[in-house]
Amino acid sequence: MSQAHKPHPTPKQYVQIAIILGILTAIEVALYYTESIVGVFTDPLLMILAVGKFVIVVGWFMHLRFENKLVNRFFAGGMILALVLFAIVMLERASANFFFS
Amino acid sequence: MNDHGYPHEPTGVDTRKLGMWVFLSTEILFFGTLITTYLIFKGRSFDGIRLEEVYDIPFTSVSSFVLLMSSLTMVLAHNAIEKFDQERTNIWLLATALLGAVFLAGQIYEFTEFYHKGFTLTENIYGSTFYVLTGFHGAHVFIGVVLLIILWGVGQRQKGLSLDGGMNLEFIALYWHFVDIVWIVLFTVVYLI
Repeated sequence: MSQAHKPHPTPKQYVQIAIILGILTAIEVALYYTESIVGVFTDPLLMILAVGKFVIVVGWFMHLRFENKLVNRFFAGGMILALVLFAIVMLERASANFFFS
Repeated sequence: MNDHGYPHEPTGVDTRKLGMWVFLSTEILFFGTLITTYLIFKGRSFDGIRLEEVYDIPFTSVSSFVLLMSSLTMVLAHNAIEKFDQERTNIWLLATALLGAVFLAGQIYEFTEFYHKGFTLTENIYGSTFYVLTGFHGAHVFIGVVLLIILWGVGQRQKGLSLDGGMNLEFIALYWHFVDIVWIVLFTVVYLI
């Protein structure tokens, strides 16, 4: 299962990645203050930005994109289980609100 | 450490590193449960003060930026140890611990402000879920800062980290980045949405 891996980023590339993360955070804060202009798109955009930052940190800083497939599966497994848990609880709450409100 | 192939391991991955990733997987579920619980109560109406009435977005944004930059210094420490550059490893480790401590100080200040404004742990169940969620994250940051200082101390005492010490740095780096990604989610879910 040993496999060839791509080289890790250089320090300069890490700094560039951090600048991108900083810019994305600034956009998030700007979106928060311009909610009256952006309207219903604010929350979806905030979620997309958060997912983008999440993927960048996991992929490049945690080196997951350079790792063995088994490691990727364990991380994805945890994420999927957490999302399934979230979906089940939200469905339960939605049905409880529908039937008992 | 740059070569991730471990032909002597049946899985192809260093067992200790695989164990660390399994641990992080369980941590995803731990925080997933706390975030889900928080979201159940987020949209409901309760007696007492709400978070939206007391929080300070510019302050929390700066805290978030500090934690993000600590991930940069952490990955630079990891990069330095891969090149056996002990001096830079120590500098970046210490910088990461300091940035983590700044974030923690900000969180303590924020909690104190909330408390004085009446948004307390026992104000309502929404307040309880908020403090449990962000408090557990803060506890994780505190553990990370302690681990970083211990590793920095070991590096100072032994005049540099050994190859095994470098592996420990990689595990602490994974933990630290994980704490960062949890905050990325919390900042959006708790403060911005």
